[in-house]
This record gives sequence, C-alpha cells and structure tokens, in this order.
Amino acid sequence: MTGPRRYVGERVRRNEDARLLTGRALFVDDVRLEGMLHVAFLRSQHAHARVKGVDVAAARRRPGVVAVYTAGDLGDFWRPGPLLVPPPPIPGLLFNSCTQVPLAKDKVRHAGEPLAMVVAESRYVAEDALEDMTVDVEPLPVVVDLEAALAPGAPLVHEHLPSNVAAHVVQRKGDYERARSGAHAVIKRRLRYDRGAAAAIENRAVVAQWDPRAEELTVWDTTQAPIPIRNGLAGLLGLLESQVRVVAPFVGGGFGPKIMMFYPEELLVPWAAMRLGRPVKWSEDRQENFYATTQERGQIHDAEIALARDGRILGVRDRFLHDAGAYDPYGLTVPINSQCTLLGPYDIANYDSEFTAVFTNKTIVTPVRGAGRQHGVFVIERLLDYAARQLGLDRVEIRRRNLLRPEQFPHNHEILFQDSAPLVYDSGNYEPALDEALRIVDYERFVREEQPRLRAAGRHVGIGVVCYVEGTGIGPYEGARVTVEPSGRVRVATGVGTQGQGHFTVFAQIVADVLGVDVEQVHVITGDTREFHWGTGTFASRGAVVAGSACHAAAVAVREKILDLASHLLEAPKHDLELADGSVGVRGAPDSAVGLGEIARRANPLRGAVRPGTEPGLEATAYFGPERGSTANGVHAAIVEVDPETALVEVTRYVVVHDSGRVLNPLLVDGQIHGGVAHGIGNAFYEQLVYDENGQLLNASFMDYLLPTATDVPPVETAHSETPSPLNPLGVKGVGEAGAIPAGAAFAQAVEDALAGSGLEITEIPLSPNRLFELIAQAGGKRA
Amino acid sequence: MIVEGTFTFAGPREAVWDLLQNPDVLVKALPGAKRLVRSGEDRYEGVMRVGVGPVTAAEFAVAVAVRDKVPPQRYALDVDSKGAVGFTRGTARVELEALADGRTRLKYTAELQVGGKIAGLGQRLLDQVAKLMTRQGLEALNQELRTRLARGSAG
Amino acid sequence: MPVNQQLPVDLTVNGVRHHRTVEPRLLLSDFLRHELGLTGTHVGCEHGVCGACTVLLDGEAVRSCLMFAIQTDGHEITTVEGLAPDGAGGALHPLQAAFREAHALQCGFCTPGVLMTLVPFLRDHPAPGEREIREALSGNLCRCTGYQNIVAAVRLACDRSPSLRR
Repeated sequence: MTGPRRYVGERVRRNEDARLLTGRALFVDDVRLEGMLHVAFLRSQHAHARVKGVDVAAARRRPGVVAVYTAGDLGDFWRPGPLLVPPPPIPGLLFNSCTQVPLAKDKVRHAGEPLAMVVAESRYVAEDALEDMTVDVEPLPVVVDLEAALAPGAPLVHEHLPSNVAAHVVQRKGDYERARSGAHAVIKRRLRYDRGAAAAIENRAVVAQWDPRAEELTVWDTTQAPIPIRNGLAGLLGLLESQVRVVAPFVGGGFGPKIMMFYPEELLVPWAAMRLGRPVKWSEDRQENFYATTQERGQIHDAEIALARDGRILGVRDRFLHDAGAYDPYGLTVPINSQCTLLGPYDIANYDSEFTAVFTNKTIVTPVRGAGRQHGVFVIERLLDYAARQLGLDRVEIRRRNLLRPEQFPHNHEILFQDSAPLVYDSGNYEPALDEALRIVDYERFVREEQPRLRAAGRHVGIGVVCYVEGTGIGPYEGARVTVEPSGRVRVATGVGTQGQGHFTVFAQIVADVLGVDVEQVHVITGDTREFHWGTGTFASRGAVVAGSACHAAAVAVREKILDLASHLLEAPKHDLELADGSVGVRGAPDSAVGLGEIARRANPLRGAVRPGTEPGLEATAYFGPERGSTANGVHAAIVEVDPETALVEVTRYVVVHDSGRVLNPLLVDGQIHGGVAHGIGNAFYEQLVYDENGQLLNASFMDYLLPTATDVPPVETAHSETPSPLNPLGVKGVGEAGAIPAGAAFAQAVEDALAGSGLEITEIPLSPNRLFELIAQAGGKRA
Repeated sequence: MIVEGTFTFAGPREAVWDLLQNPDVLVKALPGAKRLVRSGEDRYEGVMRVGVGPVTAAEFAVAVAVRDKVPPQRYALDVDSKGAVGFTRGTARVELEALADGRTRLKYTAELQVGGKIAGLGQRLLDQVAKLMTRQGLEALNQELRTRLARGSAG
Repeated sequence: MPVNQQLPVDLTVNGVRHHRTVEPRLLLSDFLRHELGLTGTHVGCEHGVCGACTVLLDGEAVRSCLMFAIQTDGHEITTVEGLAPDGAGGALHPLQAAFREAHALQCGFCTPGVLMTLVPFLRDHPAPGEREIREALSGNLCRCTGYQNIVAAVRLACDRSPSLRR
C-alpha cells in the first residue's frame, strides 16, 4: 500500500540543524519588534505571608517605566487559572482544586509568586523599578515538610480547606491482604524521592503584539502547547480563537514545565500588550526560573512487597505522600503516573496503592521528564533488590521470574492511568530486552570474575540492573495537514511544538516515504497556530506516536489524490502506478513519470470545470487519536565505582536496552536516551533543590544546583528492541522520557552493590556526594 | 542560620555596654551601616547597604528592638531587615563578661531567618559574610573604645 | 557614574566594525543580541555557569554574560554567526557539519556556546582524546544530548579536517 521505504528506520540527519548551528534559528527572546517594551516581575520573598499592600507609586514615577500593575489593577482579568487536567474518574477520589492567580492579592503561598508587573523601555529599567517598590507583608508560618503539613494544627496553605490535603486517591486490584497472609516474605521500606528542576537551558519567555488594525494578537511563547494557550488566551481576552496566533518557534528544551499552561506571565504579557498598544516582552532569568517555573518530584513512600519463596511477587502495597507545591493546576498526573508505573513490567496480581497529595509552600509541581514514573520505578526496583537479598536470589533472577510473558498481552492492570483509561499495556516482550542488556554489559562475567577480582584489590565496584515500563503516546489526538506544492516540495503542518525532538526530520521521513519524495524536500512546520490549530501539545512522549501517525494518515490521503489524478492523466489503473523520486508513473515505464508538482498544478486549474466532488490541489488534513497509550519498556544496567573515603561515584558503564516499538530514526532515538540518562544521573546524584524550613530555596542558581557536565555523564551504550504497538499504523511507541525514568533506581542498586557488606541501604534520591558520605559513615564504614 | 562567637574588648564592661547602646557609634562601626537612629524606647531603625557574593550590595531598611536588658551583663536584639534583594529576621543574644584583667569578653548568638535573593544566591557565603561583618563591626567598636578610654571619656 | 549615562564603544564583530554609545552596565550578551541583532549567542543563566553565551574575544573564549559591552572597546568579537558567514543556506564550518552528522544537537540552544568554546580549543589542541574533549566541554551545560554525540562530533571533525587543528 505505501511506497518503497527509504527513510523510516534510517539514521537520517536533521533538516533543522543548519539553522540551529548557524545561530539563525528564532527563539522567543530573539523576537524584536518596533516599540517593544520589557517586563520584570516583583516576586514574593516570603514562602507564606499575608499581603497587606504593595506600594508601586515610586516605581511608576521612574523615567522609562510605562506601567506598573498589581492585582487590583487587573480588574475582571484577575482570576485563578484553569484546572488543566481534571483527575481521572477513580472511585472515591478526593481532589481539591486550587490554581494559581496572575498576581497575588491577599496571600502569597510560595517564594517567587508574582506580586506586581513592571513594563518599561528596557529590562534594565524594569529591574531598577522593582527596587522602587515596597511590599507590606505579615509573614505566616511555613509548611515545607510533607508529614508536618498533614499534622493537626499545621498552618494552612489554602485556608478555605480543612487541611493541606490536595488529593487522596486509592487504587486497588485483587486482594493484597490475602496475598500478604500467604506470603513467604514481606519486605517493607520507606523510600524518598526529592525535587529537581527541569532546568532547560532556555528559560521561559513570552512576547505579545496586538495589531489594532488587523485586530489580531500574536504571541510568541516558549510553550509546549501553543494551541491550548491560543484558545485560552482568546477566551480570557474576549477574542475569537482565530484572532489569536501563538507561535512556539524553536524552543530551547521543554522537559515538561513548558507544558504547564497559563502561567501568570503567559496571561499578563498579552493582556498588557493589548492595553498598552505596544509589543511587550518578558524573558525569565535563571534565578526566576528556579521559583517561577514548575518542578517535580518530592514523594515519600511507605511500601511493602509480599513474595513467595521463589521470589514471585504476590502483591504490593504502597502508601505515599506527594508534594504538590502551593497550587495544583495540573491535577494528579504526576502521582497517578507514580501509582501506575510502580507495577512496571511485572505480573502483580494484587496491588493496593494509596496516595495523599499535599499542599506545601513551595513552587508548583507539574510533570518533568518522567512525570512521576521514576518514583514508581524506584519503589518497585528497590523492593525487589531488598527481596532478592533476603531470599538469597540474584537480582536479575528475581526480576526475570516476575516479568510479564509475551502471551499475557494486551495486559490489563485494571487501575486507571493518567489518560483516564484503564492501564492496559498494549504489547511488550520483556525478557529478551533483559537478556540483551545482560549480554551487552557482560553481566555474568562481571559478577563472577571482574567484580571479585577488583574487590580483592580493594576497589568498590558494583552493578545495577533495573527494568521499567513507560506509558507513552496517549491521546486525545493530534492532526496534520500535508500539501504538495506546485514546485514539487511538500509542506507538513502539525499542531505540536518542537523542543529538540527532531520533528522537522522524523515527520518528514514519514511523509517522504509515503509520497516517494526526498526527505529534504519535505518542509515541516510545528507549533504555529496559524498553520494548524487543532491539537493538544508535546508531552508524555507522544509526539512521534500521535502527531507522527496523523502525518502518516494525511500523507496517505494525499497519496490517494495523487493516484486518482495520475490514473486519469496517465490513463492507467491505480494499481499500476508507483510514487518514487518525487514523481508518479506507470510501473516499469520510466518515461511515463510526471512530477508531483505538475500533478499539483493540474489539480488546481485557474480556468475550466472540475469534476464534482473533487478538492483542489494535493492537500489533506487528518487526525489521529489512539484508543489508549502504548507502553514502551526497557532495561538499564550501570556499573559504578565508589571511593568510600570521598563518596565520589564514577559511572564506568551505562547500558540501555529500550523497546519503543518501531524505530523511526535510530539517531534521534539514541539522542533521546542519552539525554534522558544524563537527566536521570543528574537527578540521582547531583541535583537537589534545597528548601529550608521557611520555604526558602537555598540553591537558586547553577552555581549551587548542579547539572551534570560532560565529565559527569558516561557514554551510554544503547540497543533497541522493536515490539510494535498495535495501537497506531506506524507501530511506534514513545521514547522521550525513557532515559530518565529508571536511572535513580539503577544508580542506587549499583552504589549499594559497590558498598556491599557495609550494610548501607540507599532509600533516597538524590544522593549527593555529601549525603552518600553521611550514609557511609552511618552504616559503619568498612566493607567486609 | 546561626551566627555565634566571642570577642574580647580592651576595656571594662560598663564602657562596652554604653558603646553598644549608642546608635551614633554603632552606625560608624557597623560595615555598610548608612543610618541608625533611635526611634523609640529601646528601638532603633536605619539603613544598611549589604552585598553577599554574587548579589550586588543593596539597601536594607533595618528595625531593631532591644529587650531583656540586664545591664551591664546581657541583652537581646530582635532584628527585622528588608530590602529588594531579600530579608533577614531573627534574634541575637549578647552577653558581656568582665575579665580579671579589666577587659571584657562578649559572647553573641544570633538565630536568623534569611529570605529572598540573598538566600537563593548567596547561601554558601552567608555564614562568612555574617561573621566578617560582625568581626569588622566589633573591631571598629573596640577601636572606638580604646580611643575613648585614652581620651578619658569612656561612656 | 549615573546609570543612564552613555559611553562610546568601538568594536569589530565577525569582521564588521560597529560604533555605538551604550550604558556602562549593558552586558555584552545583551549588546550582541539586541543592539546588533546577532541573536545566535544565547543566554541561559547570566551568572557565567552554563556557557551558552560564549563568544570569542580576540580569539579566546569568554562568557559574554559576564562582560560589559564597553569592555570590548577596541577589540574583536567572533560570534557563532561568524563561523558560517553565508548563514543556514551556505557552507557550514567543518565543526558545524560534524555536529549535524553526529546528531550533536537537539534543541540547539546551548550549541552556539559549545561551538565557540570548541573553536579555540581545537585550534590549540590538535587530536584531543575523549577525556580532553569532555574536560574542554565541562564548562558548557547541555540538558538534551547527554554530551555523547557532541564528543563524537568533535572527533569526527578532527578526523576530517586537519585545518581545525591549526
């Protein structure tokens, strides 16, 4: 049905690279408009306080300042933001929706919450004006610790609620109590996973311009979701959706926080542009990013696993607390992901999971690469490690015995996933991925020969092998329009945005294969609502799956039009025609070939009559909405060496075997895995957001929040399995978050193994060198 | 954060006590102090200019309340300072011990809450800056004490 | 000096002379991006850690977010736009071509800074090994690539282009 494959599956170099490499790619802060004004925000220094007044009179008088706004100046525009993701219909669910406001009015609930906005001739003057303002606040007691936040009498982040409980959710299947009563072993642990920042190298930025003659608002925004932003802004500003254009040009890394929507700045900059009649720009600086851009991932789990004597899991029970931050606009995506992903690639018949999401006086929590899946993986993998130790089983063997078998797919776990559908794994073949990882890392030889030899020489080396699944490719849908132009070049427009994933190339590959054209002749546009305005955005590892499938469907529809027309033109039946090299012709008769551009011209006559029912040109729009998400899986294996005196850890090997279904471009997939692993290593060992008991972030800069550098990230060896997904025509699954998800668990297992005999247990992430040092000392130091 | 230490003054306790209660002396001695006036019974207010590491020196409005006075032995200070780059709030306790040789040992303990930019950017340096400012201030006060004693007008 | 006083600055950027009057506190990164419209140099942190703002000052790598524009008076700056003067449609610098070949960039935001760090490094270090390359890159933060393909690109460029080692 489709033409000869040339690009899909190949390591095609990226179409977009020349612009990025030569510094000619447009990022939001590059936008320069005549008369543009600049914004700075006055942000709360206190994590929790009553606001008695903000005095901006002096700021208004500063030369160069055009306007200063506080909450009172916003009139009807001031209102809490929308609930972006209503929680899934889980029975008995309790959810308190408390969303952020554009400018704080009576109360501030986290350090960095905006109190006032200055618009001035330059950012420098705007920042000067911030110093002219004084804020009269009454500091309130702060809640930072999750358990303290739930203690009776704790200060309330939201005073209209009876407590700091943001949500309470229970999901169960089977009968854990019964499973436990028949268990040979029950392992219990408290496990902690703490907050980290996404820290994309590009901070957020918004530029807005209102054209009063065309009556159109144009907004450049570093968002991962331009279409919902456009629709939301139109609604809030009283405009038609078609009067608003949102452009997410090149975006310097998304990783999740750029799909948080309706941030205060995102609303206020367009509002100010309309009011002032001049373009307005706000660029976040790095320090603001630490307070004002969302983060993830504090959780405390009290988990237990019940096992049979042979290591088979009988059931798992998990109770956890989830740090929601000061507001919860993103619903329960993160903790539900944790809840679901804990089941992993394992056959777990009895599961009892309960979580309480807690409001704290810290920055809002929304998904960051992994979106809560890492916590689930950390818990189950650590429990299996401790179970293996107790039962005297090899760490790989205990996992192997519990993996779901190929005949068990599709596998329905019966609990609800973030897309509100039951958690069903579409396809998977887990054991071969495990075997492949073991083969590449040479597991047997390491454990039997190399490790004992190095240990005898006094070195502390260890290995970690962990398995995981990643729910990807969820709906609701995306769309694409494919057009063959008279020049023969092909244009593809889709609504998702791009933040480095290579959409300009991988979507081109898909379309190029269907139409038989050169991939460099396919021009892809993403993230511009004027080009395409139906869709949701780039998140949850779904771009290639959902938008890619839509591109495929649209290309197939265009192909049909080409064949229809060519069949008339060449007076040959459609099944005798083939598309190749940008032309269509009769198979076996190369002289018959007509360029697709010529077909496009003929499909759009300037004079004469057309057959009824035809559409002009060679263009089609198609949508794709999967029935549910598809489940990717993989295995990470890491070998580390620890210096017990300095607690420095060197990762000497890192292997990833990942199954994301059909691989569209191995170069890009590997890149996603490398980057994900680096992020995972960062979360595991270097990155920690340190809040003091007053909700003050103590390391709000790259000097003190340590991102891994080129000397910290090992080369990652990757291998791919391909178990196609039955849920989309391409058979693909997502891969964007795979590298990051299990890294913490792999790291913990490997470091514990390196220090085996010290009695050290690593039940927390991140694990800075300082903290590891403390843990080593506490465990009594020396290895046997 | 906790800032604590000791310092030995080259003079008797009563003289040291008087100096510590004198805003005109303190404003000259404290690094960065631009203004310090008595604003009520045992209350002072003023302006200080402080920078911490990467945070450029900026102005802070300072309010101080003195309490639990047991002259010339001890007192407590409640400090509340705020500026565009942050705030600090807390309590310091000061004790003066008369030494046999006529000198005075001062002991101080301060528990301070720090917030805003200086907390986020200057964390690694806050301790050092606080210690440095305190030591410089005390040394300047000690110098003033010596001058006064030499002039014969201690107090 | 009052902050809004202006001072003259005379400099050459990518071979072109510019004369402007600017505030003393205007950062070089802001000058290049907004005054001269050379937006290829990116700002990631403004405190000199991420390296995205790296440009060449008289041939040596500097962080433009840590300099004032007036400090460049009389000097020569090279930005990423200077590596491929004909832009995206023209010939790429061998390092840029190698980056594309090796998939050494994803979002591309840190890339100009990485390139400008590598240009003087490769000029001074012919045929560097993996460890040396990673150390040279350790002042440039990348959140997308995990650095692996950047290292591969450097080795590819060195293998292909003896001119880089000059």
